[in-house]
Amino acid sequence: MSALKQPQPGMAGRVDWTFVFAVIGLVATGTVAMLSAASTTMYYQAILQKHFIALAMGAGLFTLTLAFNYQVFQDQSKALYVIALGLMFAVLVVGSSIRGHRAWIRLPGFSFQPAELARVLVVLVLADFLDRRALRVQDLSTVLIAIAIAAPVMLLILKQPDFSTALTFIPMIVGMLFCAGADVLQLLFIFGFGAATLTFPLVYTLCQVRFPNSAPGTLPAFVIAVSKMGLATLALMAGIAAVSFLVWRMLTWMRLQVKPFAFIAFPLIAASALLCGIVINGHMKSYQRNRFVAFVAPGSDVQGAAYNVIQSKVAIGSGGVWGKGLFSGTQSQLGFLPERHTDFIFANVGEEMGFIGAGLILGLYMIVLWRIVTAARQARDRYGYLVCAGLASMFAFVMALNIGMCVGLMPVAGIPLPLISYGGSSLVINLWSLGIVANIYARRYALL
Amino acid sequence: MNRSTSGPRERLELLWIVLAAVGAALGLRLAQLQILDSAEYRQMAERNASQMIYQAAPRGRIYDRAGVPLATSQPSFSLIFLPGKGKARQDLEPLARELGRQLGRDPQDLLETLDEAEREQSAARLAENLPTATMFQLSELKTLYPGVDLITEARRYYPNGRFASHLLGYMGKMSPGEWKLRKTQGYRADSRVGKMGLESAFEDELRGRDGGIQMEVDAQGRLKRKLGEIPWQPGSNIHLTIDTAVQKAADEGLRKSLTGRGAAVAIDPRTGEILAMSSQPDFDPNALLSTDPEEVKRVSHDMPEFNNAIAGAYPPGSTFKPIVSLAALNEGRITPSETFYCPGYYKLGSKLFHCDKHEAHGEVNFLKGLAESCNVYFFNVGLKTGADRIEKYAKMFGLGQKTNVPLRGEKAGHLFGPETRRKAGKSWYDGDTLNLSIGQGELTVTPIQMAVVAAALANRGTVWRPHYIQKIAYVDGRPDFVQKPEALAQVYAKDSAWDLVQKGMEVVVSSGTGYPAKVPGLLVAGKTGTAQNPHGKDDAWFISYAARPGQPPSIAIAVLAENAGYGAAAAAPVAKKMILAAFGMPDPEVEAEKRAAERAARRALRPAGAPALTRPPLPGGAR
Repeated sequence: MSALKQPQPGMAGRVDWTFVFAVIGLVATGTVAMLSAASTTMYYQAILQKHFIALAMGAGLFTLTLAFNYQVFQDQSKALYVIALGLMFAVLVVGSSIRGHRAWIRLPGFSFQPAELARVLVVLVLADFLDRRALRVQDLSTVLIAIAIAAPVMLLILKQPDFSTALTFIPMIVGMLFCAGADVLQLLFIFGFGAATLTFPLVYTLCQVRFPNSAPGTLPAFVIAVSKMGLATLALMAGIAAVSFLVWRMLTWMRLQVKPFAFIAFPLIAASALLCGIVINGHMKSYQRNRFVAFVAPGSDVQGAAYNVIQSKVAIGSGGVWGKGLFSGTQSQLGFLPERHTDFIFANVGEEMGFIGAGLILGLYMIVLWRIVTAARQARDRYGYLVCAGLASMFAFVMALNIGMCVGLMPVAGIPLPLISYGGSSLVINLWSLGIVANIYARRYALL
Repeated sequence: MNRSTSGPRERLELLWIVLAAVGAALGLRLAQLQILDSAEYRQMAERNASQMIYQAAPRGRIYDRAGVPLATSQPSFSLIFLPGKGKARQDLEPLARELGRQLGRDPQDLLETLDEAEREQSAARLAENLPTATMFQLSELKTLYPGVDLITEARRYYPNGRFASHLLGYMGKMSPGEWKLRKTQGYRADSRVGKMGLESAFEDELRGRDGGIQMEVDAQGRLKRKLGEIPWQPGSNIHLTIDTAVQKAADEGLRKSLTGRGAAVAIDPRTGEILAMSSQPDFDPNALLSTDPEEVKRVSHDMPEFNNAIAGAYPPGSTFKPIVSLAALNEGRITPSETFYCPGYYKLGSKLFHCDKHEAHGEVNFLKGLAESCNVYFFNVGLKTGADRIEKYAKMFGLGQKTNVPLRGEKAGHLFGPETRRKAGKSWYDGDTLNLSIGQGELTVTPIQMAVVAAALANRGTVWRPHYIQKIAYVDGRPDFVQKPEALAQVYAKDSAWDLVQKGMEVVVSSGTGYPAKVPGLLVAGKTGTAQNPHGKDDAWFISYAARPGQPPSIAIAVLAENAGYGAAAAAPVAKKMILAAFGMPDPEVEAEKRAAERAARRALRPAGAPALTRPPLPGGAR
C-alpha cells in the first residue's frame, strides 16, 4: 500500500486509518463468514477462488483510487454518465440471465454485475450536477433534473428486472438532495410520492392475505376494487382532491398563511403515486408478491417467502451471545437457511458467531458510516461532500435493508450485504467506492 | 437565502442522526433476537434439525409348555418419511406416485399422509412390515427422494398362524378412545396393543419400552447423523401351559367338524393347567398385521371375536349325567345294580319324555344307563335322588360360577335347580327334575366349565381354577412369576361312588356311546352329550379324560361342536385326536392324509422334472 503512496509524501498521515481498518475488519469478517457459509455448496473451491481474486482486485482499486485526485471524477462526469448508461444498455443486450435477472455481463474469465457500478457512477454524476446547481438548489427544477439524471439508469435496472437495486437509488438521491440543501417540502413530496407508491401494493397485499373474503362495502373490498382501475379508483382520487381542497379552505378560514401551491401539489402527487402504486401492483412478479406477503403476514405461508425470513430469524436467534461456532450452525450447515453465503450471510454470522459477530459487523458498519460522514464534513469541496453524503446514504440504506431483512424488520429484498456477502463484482465496486471516500478524506486540506 | 456551505453541512448532521438511529434500531433488534428470545429460537433450531425415529420394542415372547415359541417378534422393515422444510404439496406428488406404484396403494392416500407429515413436521410411517423383495426396490427411492428411509423394527409374529387364536389374542391399532387412555403410558398414536386373549390380559408384561434414534436431519429431510439413541427394552416372556400338539389337534379337529364351529378345552387334571383351548371359527393373528390395509380391514371386519370356550353357554346334555350319577351313588339313593325299565319313554302325568332316538333300552342298570346314555334310567335316578341334591353337586363342580380363568369375557353359565328357582321366586316341578337329570332345561355351561368338571371327575373331586400361565420371566430383574395350582373347590364323595362313576365313564368309551374316542393302550373315559338346541341342530358334546394304565389321568377334555349332531359322532373324534396328541401317539387319520398329500405332490412334480419343492425356511424368532 505504502509503495503506491510513496510519490506523495505525507499521504500516510492523511489517510483515515480508522476508516481503513474498519473496512478491513468488515471484509475479514465477511471472508470468515463466507468460508463457513459456502462450505456446504458444491462450488466451494470456485467460490473461494473468485472471492480472493475479487478481494485482491478490490484492495488494488481501493489503493489505486487513493493515488490520484478524486476531482478527476467530477471532470469526467459526462464520461462516467455515458459509461453508466452504456453498461446498463449492454447488460440488457449482451448480458446473460441468472434466475430470471438479466444482470450479468460475461467476459472471458469472469463475469460481473454492472448495476452496482452504475449506482456509484450515478452518485458521482449527481454530486457534480448538484455542485454546479449550488445556487439554484432550492428550485424544484434541481430536484426534477436530479431525478431525470438517475431515472434512465434506474429504468434500465428495472428492466433487468431488479426491483431491489433500483429501489436503493431512491434514498441515495434523497440523501444527496437533502445534504445539498434542497427544499425539504419538495423532498417530502418526492419522498412521499415514493412511499405512497410502495404503500398501495403493501395495503393491497395486506387486504388480500388477511381479509381474503371480505364483503363488498368494507375497506379491504374497496382497496381491491381500487386496484382494478375502475370507478373506485376515480372516486378515491376525487376524495383526495376534495379533502385537500377542504383542508386548504379551512386553513384560509383560520387565517393561517399556507402556500396554495402545497394544496395543488399534494393531491397531484397523492393521485399520481396511487396510480403508480396500482400499476406496480398490477405488474408485480409472483416472487415479489410473495415477499410482500411475507412482510405483511409472516407465518401465513411457511413454505414460501416467509419461510426464508423465519429460518433467518431462527438462525440469528439461536446463535445467542457467543454463537454456535464456525461450521457448526445447524440452520446454515444443514440447509435450512436459504442463500446463506449471499443475501442471508448476516444470518449465518448471527448463528455461528452470535451476538458478538453480528454486533461486530453492525458496529464496523457504523464506524464506516461515521467515517464517511466525517469525510463529508471535512471534504475540501462541495463535490466531495456530496459524493460522501450519497455514498453514506447508499451504504446505510443497503445495510439496513439487508440486515433488516435478516432480522425480520424489512421485507425480503434480494440485495447483498456490501463487503460481507459473496459476490465478486459487488466487493470490487464497493471497495472502489470506499476508496473514493478515503481519497476525499485524504485530500481534505486541498494541498495535494 | 443562506446557500453557503454551513446550511447543508448542518443537514449532514441530521443525516448522521438518522443513520445512527437506524444502526441503533438494528442493534436493539439483534439484542432482542440473540439475547432476550435466544432460548426460544434455539429450541426452534433444534426442532428444525432433529427428528426422533421411534422403534417399536420387541414384545415379550410367548412359549408353549415345551418352550416352543407361539408368538415372537421379527425384525421387519418399515418405510418412513421424514418431512423436509418448505416442501409444497406438488413437490410430494412424484414421490406419492412412485410409492403408490411400488406399494400398490392409492397415490392420493399416500399424498395425504406425506402432506400431513409435512404440515405437522413429524415423521410418518408409509408402510410397515415390508417384504424383502419390495424392500430392495424401495431402498432405491432413498437416494432419489430425500426424506424417505427404511428402518428396522420389531413386529409381532405368530409362527403357527391360526393357532389358539382366542387364547393368544392379536395385536391391533388403538381406537381413539384407547389412545386417550394410554397416551400417558408411553404409547404412541401408531403403537399397537394387545387386543384379545393374553396379548390383552398381559399387555403390561408383554409390552417392552420403545426405543428411538434421535437423528440430525437437513432441510431436505435427509438423515445426516445420529445424535443419540434410546435403546428399546423388550417385554417379558410368558411361558404357557399349552401343549402345541394338543392345541393343534383341537383346532384342526374342530375345524373339520360338521359346522366348523365349537370349542375344545383340555386341562391337566393333576394341576388345572390348560393344555389346549380352542374356539372355532378362529382367525390368523398375522393377517391383522399385514402390510395391506385392505386385508386388515377385511380380516378384522369378519373376525370371530367370540371365544366359545369361555363365553359360549350351552346346555350340557348327557355330559351332565356323571354328576347326577355321583350325586345318586354318593348319597346312596341308588345302587349300581338297581335297574329301571326303559320302554323308550317316560310318562310324567300326561307328558311323555323320550329316550334318544325313541329307542327302548329295556332293563337298565347303572353301567348300562351311563354307557348307553339312557334318559329314562336317569329320569328315574333323578327323581329318586332329588333335584336339590343334584343341584348341590352341580354347584360343587363349579357350574353356574365362573372358573376365573384369566381371560376377559368369561360367562358363568346358568345353574338350574330348585334352589336357583326359589331365589328367582319361582316354583320347581317334577318335569324340571327330569330335564335336570339329563342336563337339559335351563342348565347352561361353558366348555371350560365342562373341562374343569371332566378334570374333577378324573382326579376325584378337585375343582381347579384353570390357568394357562406356567411362568412369566420378567426382564427387569424381578424374580419369575410361577403359577401355582389353585383349587376352587373340592367335591367330597365316597371312593366307592368315584370308582363307579369312573368305571361307568370308562365303559362309555370302551363299549358305549363314546367308542369313537377309544385309544388302544390308554385308559380313556368319557361321556357323550347331544344337547337340544332351540335354534337349530343339536350341539354335540364330549367330555373325557385319559391316562396311561397304572398312572393318574393326565388330560381332561371337553369338546363342543355346535349344531353338529351326535356327541359320539362329532365331538368324540376331536377328543380322540387331542388324546393321541397329548400322549405323543400318531394319529392314523393325519398320517394317512400326510401320505396321500406326499403322493400327490410327487405325482405333480415328476412330469415337470422340477426338483422337490423346498419348504420356505421358517422365519426365525430373532429378537
